[in-house]
Amino acid sequence: MMHLITGGSGSGKSAYAEEQILAMQGDCRIYIATMDPYDEESHRRIQRHRRMRAEKNFTTIECYRDLETVELPEGADVLLECMSNLTANEMFRQDPPEGDVADRIIQGVERLRRQARNLVIVSNEIFSDGCEYASETREYQRVLGTVNCRLAKMAEQVTEVVYGIPLEVKR
Amino acid sequence: MNMVIGGAYQGKLNYAKETFQIPDGWVDGAFCTLEDLAQCRGVYDFHLLIRRLLEEGQEADRLVLEAAEKNPEICIVTNELGYGVVPVDAFDRLWREKTGRICTELAGKAEEVHRVVCGIGMVIKK
Repeated sequence: MMHLITGGSGSGKSAYAEEQILAMQGDCRIYIATMDPYDEESHRRIQRHRRMRAEKNFTTIECYRDLETVELPEGADVLLECMSNLTANEMFRQDPPEGDVADRIIQGVERLRRQARNLVIVSNEIFSDGCEYASETREYQRVLGTVNCRLAKMAEQVTEVVYGIPLEVKR
Repeated sequence: MNMVIGGAYQGKLNYAKETFQIPDGWVDGAFCTLEDLAQCRGVYDFHLLIRRLLEEGQEADRLVLEAAEKNPEICIVTNELGYGVVPVDAFDRLWREKTGRICTELAGKAEEVHRVVCGIGMVIKK
């Protein structure tokens, strides 16, 4: 089963995603962390998420880019967090590989999905503030928007979390 | 406690006044004090109150949650922030994130949460 969870900043997406994984009652929980810690603020965010996950028995795999290289044990319930970081890391990397970024990310997700028992992916709504950004930021919005649409198509379930309240977008 | 959330300029306040039958007794988050918050019937532009407290270096989460607790019948109208690109400015990032966390906490306590788009409310919690 694949479940895409999206929402705004600070909306309780992670807590909801973790609940979904716990409810699956499997004995192998994998957390794929995509935030590349580059400053104090990102370290703080990572610490906060680690505290939230403590005692929930997740094995953490750090994957900042090249999702297609991740190897999972059999029968795992996998939480990938989050697509907005992974997409930024892929787009703004020093050594971009050949090919379309969105295609590569989706291929990585397809591969995870084949290996995992359940796959929960957290993404982000960054599309509705009406600001005109520089062209590379707009390109980032375009790529993440494309990725989100393709993930939603693949997923059996899509949920938008609004201030901790899950809204069913697809089921 | 009830909450009305949504984007800017969506008719949230009018919707809240009608839906919850609160014609008056409202305070403005851009100017009100924490005492006002603890005593009013409703607050609008609640996200601006959070911004002011953060600007003053105050512990916005605790203060706001405490004040709201003293006022269990309050109706809170707030802009939903956090649906855009992560702001470049560190303070804006803090404000946006804190508003999300505080509102998530309040929504957990609220009896009803309504989300307004184009003046039309959708009940997302009841």
